[in-house]
Amino acid sequence: MDNSKTLNLNVRKDFPILSKKILEKKDLIYFDTAASAQKPNTVIDETNDFYKNHYSNVSRGVHTLSVESTFRYEDARKKVQKFLNARSENEIIFTKSATEGINLVAQSFYEKFMQKGDEVILSLIEHHSNLIPWFFLRDKYGVVLKFANIQSSGEIDIDHFNSLFTNKTKIVSLTHLSNVFGTELNEKAISICKDKNVPILLDGCQSAAHLKIDVQKLGCDFFVFSGHKTYGPAGIGVLYGTENLLSEMPPYQGGGGMIGDVSLEGASYAELPAKYEAGTPPLVEAHGLGIAIDYMNKIGLDNIIEHENEITKYAFNKLDEIDFIEIHGGDNKRNSIISFNIKNVHSHEVSSFLDVEGIAIRAGHHCCQPLMKHLGVNSTARLSFGVYNSLEEVDKFVIALHKCKEFFNK
Amino acid sequence: MNDLINDLYQEIILDHGREPRNFGECEPHNKSADGHNPLCGDSLKLTFLLNDQNIIEDIKFTGEGCAISLASASLMTEKLKGKKIEVAEEIFKDFTNLVSGSDEDLKVLNEEDSLYALKGVGGFPMRVKCATMAWHAFNQALKD
Ligand SMILES: Cc1ncc(COP(=O)(O)O)c(C=O)c1O
Repeated sequence: MDNSKTLNLNVRKDFPILSKKILEKKDLIYFDTAASAQKPNTVIDETNDFYKNHYSNVSRGVHTLSVESTFRYEDARKKVQKFLNARSENEIIFTKSATEGINLVAQSFYEKFMQKGDEVILSLIEHHSNLIPWFFLRDKYGVVLKFANIQSSGEIDIDHFNSLFTNKTKIVSLTHLSNVFGTELNEKAISICKDKNVPILLDGCQSAAHLKIDVQKLGCDFFVFSGHKTYGPAGIGVLYGTENLLSEMPPYQGGGGMIGDVSLEGASYAELPAKYEAGTPPLVEAHGLGIAIDYMNKIGLDNIIEHENEITKYAFNKLDEIDFIEIHGGDNKRNSIISFNIKNVHSHEVSSFLDVEGIAIRAGHHCCQPLMKHLGVNSTARLSFGVYNSLEEVDKFVIALHKCKEFFNK
Repeated sequence: MNDLINDLYQEIILDHGREPRNFGECEPHNKSADGHNPLCGDSLKLTFLLNDQNIIEDIKFTGEGCAISLASASLMTEKLKGKKIEVAEEIFKDFTNLVSGSDEDLKVLNEEDSLYALKGVGGFPMRVKCATMAWHAFNQALKD
């Protein structure tokens, strides 16, 4: 291993689960952050503390605990606003997940701005979460879906993407960072949308903790991510939307907390962001997400990105040298994710084999079945990195891969 | 090598995974069903011919999958060919118990059986679905 420029963040100790022994003796090597990130102590302790010392419902009562809970919930919103560099807290809607955020946009945007025959542009590399909510519009309302092709590098074919626009194109929804290839969306895709005055939603599930996000600079109209992939709890997600669009679109769900005034004849709706937050929100989880953002800020997102880029490049080069490994996507810049197959060995076998070596990787279709079909495989193995990983772990992984190949081809 | 891995991937499993028996489509057939594991995308198609004495005369499958799912389907077809439906259903029940880690109340399967090789799946709960995919397809085909 070349140690010369290793940026060791030395944060493994911050993550209690990483001291767990797999099958009682193997050190855990967690290479499945893209599925869900592990949680640092601060997130675990602070969510505990919330329940122990501050918990009540939010924005409902006037007693001390309600005030303390509301403060934490709204403080988390401020942290998210800064994290994404949104213009205002009104642009930050808490959801239960990125998935819910996409469903919200699909439903509410359709209701306000679309009709039968209108078109949505997606791409071949989308996660099922960024496909099915739009399939609903196709099935229920006759909306037309178009899919941008991808190049062998794993990037969207920009020319093809550009050619899909018509005067019926109402919205575009694309992944910001592919959960299969780790490739970042070409900025041109966003500028094309700007030029054509078509709103674009970015699925930021994989980018939120692995790229620096500035929604204003990006110029996207919507951005969604999930707390659990950014070192925070599951059950909390974020939808960023421009105040203009969020103001014009109708609410997604009805319930407590999202109303202005209710009589039996009807209701008026609350201002942003409450308008989109019907019912008791995942308040403790929101707080946990805020703490996770604090954690990333403390280490420094630049440091995290540099660290992950170094590991990704190192792992890519190691895998690229091995003749029995097939890497999916090109050798262009990737962020924290590499999908591969061992020739003639199913990814399930790879994953089970590595599991008993203490190495957690993902095997399967990664909720991207249309992409798998395009790649001509029915599943891949996927490595994904987080702040706590190291080059040394990659070395151990590579040794285990050789053992795995030997075992199945004996 | 790790015991769990050796238990999971016994020689017979690797062998049937690499070269599945009864691979193809039964012609003619009067029963068929698709098996699908939505978690990973593996799938298979099972066809068989049930004669008028309720005996499975021939049974075959095609599909894509991991070694466990292919080996399980392959071993299943070997086991079920020539069996009466009632017996096949008993085997199905036993097999489901076996791979979920309980081999105590087995009625028809015993340690001599090739299907026993799949017992190691019990050590990998997430892989149980791989081992049962073909069997669920079989069960489905009987219901249809
Ligand atoms: C690119 C992408 N989009 C969407 C999702 C869905 O995230 P969640 O299940 O947290 O809503 C994921 C997570 O698997 C993802 O990787």
